Amino acid sequence: MKKIFLLSVFLAFTGIAGAQEAGTPPQGMRGTALNLPDISALGNITGYLSDDKSDTGRNELGIHEVETAFQGYIYPEMRADIILAIHKHDGSYESEICEAKASFMNLAAGLSGEMGKVHIDFGRVNKLHTHHLPMVDKPAVLTNFFGDHELAGQGATAKYLLPFLPFYTQFQAGAWTVAGHEHGVTADHPEDVLNVNGATVSVPSLVHEDADFSPAGKVYTARLNSSFELADKTELELGVSGLKGRGAHYEEHKDNVEVTGADLTLRFWPSTYQRVTFQNEWLHLKRAVPAGTLHRDGFYSFLNYRADKYWDYGARFDYAEGAWPAISYERSVSAIVTRHLTETSYWRLQYKHRNLDGRNVSEGWLQVSFGIGPHSHELE
Amino acid sequence: MKKIMMTAAALALWAGAARAEIKVVAASSDLRYICERVGGAEVKVESLASGDQDLHMVEPRPSMVYKLKKADLVVRVGLDLDMWVDSLINAARNPRLFYGRPGYVDASAGVPLLEKPEGKVDAAMGDIHIYGNPHYWLDPANAKIMAKNVAAGFTRAAPDKAAVFEANYAAFAKEADERLAGWAARMAKYKGLKVITYHSSWPYFAARFGLGVAGHVEPKPGIPPSASHLEGLVKKMKAENIKVILTESYYPRKGPDFLAGKTGAAVVTAAVSAGGTADIKTYFDVFDRVIAALEKAAAKE
Repeated sequence: MKKIFLLSVFLAFTGIAGAQEAGTPPQGMRGTALNLPDISALGNITGYLSDDKSDTGRNELGIHEVETAFQGYIYPEMRADIILAIHKHDGSYESEICEAKASFMNLAAGLSGEMGKVHIDFGRVNKLHTHHLPMVDKPAVLTNFFGDHELAGQGATAKYLLPFLPFYTQFQAGAWTVAGHEHGVTADHPEDVLNVNGATVSVPSLVHEDADFSPAGKVYTARLNSSFELADKTELELGVSGLKGRGAHYEEHKDNVEVTGADLTLRFWPSTYQRVTFQNEWLHLKRAVPAGTLHRDGFYSFLNYRADKYWDYGARFDYAEGAWPAISYERSVSAIVTRHLTETSYWRLQYKHRNLDGRNVSEGWLQVSFGIGPHSHELE
Repeated sequence: MKKIMMTAAALALWAGAARAEIKVVAASSDLRYICERVGGAEVKVESLASGDQDLHMVEPRPSMVYKLKKADLVVRVGLDLDMWVDSLINAARNPRLFYGRPGYVDASAGVPLLEKPEGKVDAAMGDIHIYGNPHYWLDPANAKIMAKNVAAGFTRAAPDKAAVFEANYAAFAKEADERLAGWAARMAKYKGLKVITYHSSWPYFAARFGLGVAGHVEPKPGIPPSASHLEGLVKKMKAENIKVILTESYYPRKGPDFLAGKTGAAVVTAAVSAGGTADIKTYFDVFDRVIAALEKAAAKE
């Protein structure tokens, strides 16, 4: 016993235990002689065609969004991600802090947290940045209930990997302050009015029903998601999400908002590069206004086949009701083809046929998305 | 009697707990094999990628997070080949496995690297790995370095088992040396043989056995072949009398078959990892099969 002990002490100091070298650092820890963070840039060029003559953004090709990311570690097991974006919003470019967060990766065993401005982890798609979506546009239910952009909040979230379960299960809860739309919805609807001196001045009008709806103000979220390895290369993921807050224009509408969601994703890898994804997400909006409570539903179903290393073929069905008191709905089917160039660059074609309250609209996109540098996101 | 039974059950449980295995998650099936050889009965190893997968393209999944959450050690290929492991380690929040912690093992540490890019690197060069070519396990001489890194990790996890790991490592290294000597003897007559490979996966193998890689089916790493590139290769193969095309089992055969049809070259399809095909059970089988296939192709010549 003594010999073994002495041998292990000897090995610990001189032998194989000392042989481990650092190896190559992971992303966010690459560093340089200048100790720079990982810096990257992404661009999203989009061409959009539509036969809807009332659509002011149709038949245009141009840069839709650029994003810069600065990512790195700020302390052992603490990293910072700052993602700044300039994107097109109603025809003009707006700058935005897309995300700026500090991640505490090891608060305790299985527990992590994020603080700052964060894409809220609700369902499967909301947290993804545009260039990470497997489609050009977001499903209608998300734009109807959360607005044109990802629902992002300033605040904090804690995530916990549940122990003692024989499969992956994570619970997370967050508290946020969400700005309705930081691009100023009211400024898009000016009205000429007389001031006290009798002169005509232009002022922002009250928000109309065609403005984006989204939760805002103090928003509380929770999500529980699990994953089951059904077979060697088959994975089933289930999740439920909840959100409680107010409407983006609470001063006008006095609306309290609850959104609940459920998602199911089945992924199957028949061979090295082939993959079949069947992703479904349902959301229910409960919007309590003084006159009563609105209930609205929406879902999408997305089937994607990655045929080889370079090509993806997808189809999506959407059904989404509008968030406003007037009953409205959208049904659409989309066909999507993606050609991957590298891990961060691709081009994509998408056709969508929409039925908007019985009115048919056809839309098409060409998207070229490119990445420069080591931009990365956490597990998605 | 009841008391005896209960005592026995308690003792069995205690003994089971006392003999806790080191839970290891390896990024590849080859690393899994090496971990099993070095760890022996002291470890339980799972592999994230199967042998038929392209390690560049493994998709992180929540079930992999679950495996890492429970693990004492993670053993990765490194050199940016398995970058997907980073997001999994972050998601698992297992304090033992973070970079620099005792449970983090990069098997590439200390491997003499080939094709280290110099100067500016960008995507115009294709899918370039900034630290050097990451397919180092295809030189069987590097197996000892990988195994040494693994043994060091195991020793950090269970210092009291250091002697066991050292003995297992020594046995593995001896077998690796003996097998390498045998393969080197078989390959000696093919020294200088020019081959075309699909991807730049084989420089370590080629350097070890004296093969000359004259070109790749991919014009640049990760870029699919164009017709003009293939035509250029046909000319080169005819001019230099290149008669062997070496390709990984997961790459499409269209390009290699086109070249073979135009030049009469033999296509050698080889798995690059244990489990890559049904008959390749171990890391050493990878070399047995590819060398046998190369011998067959050369004999046809």
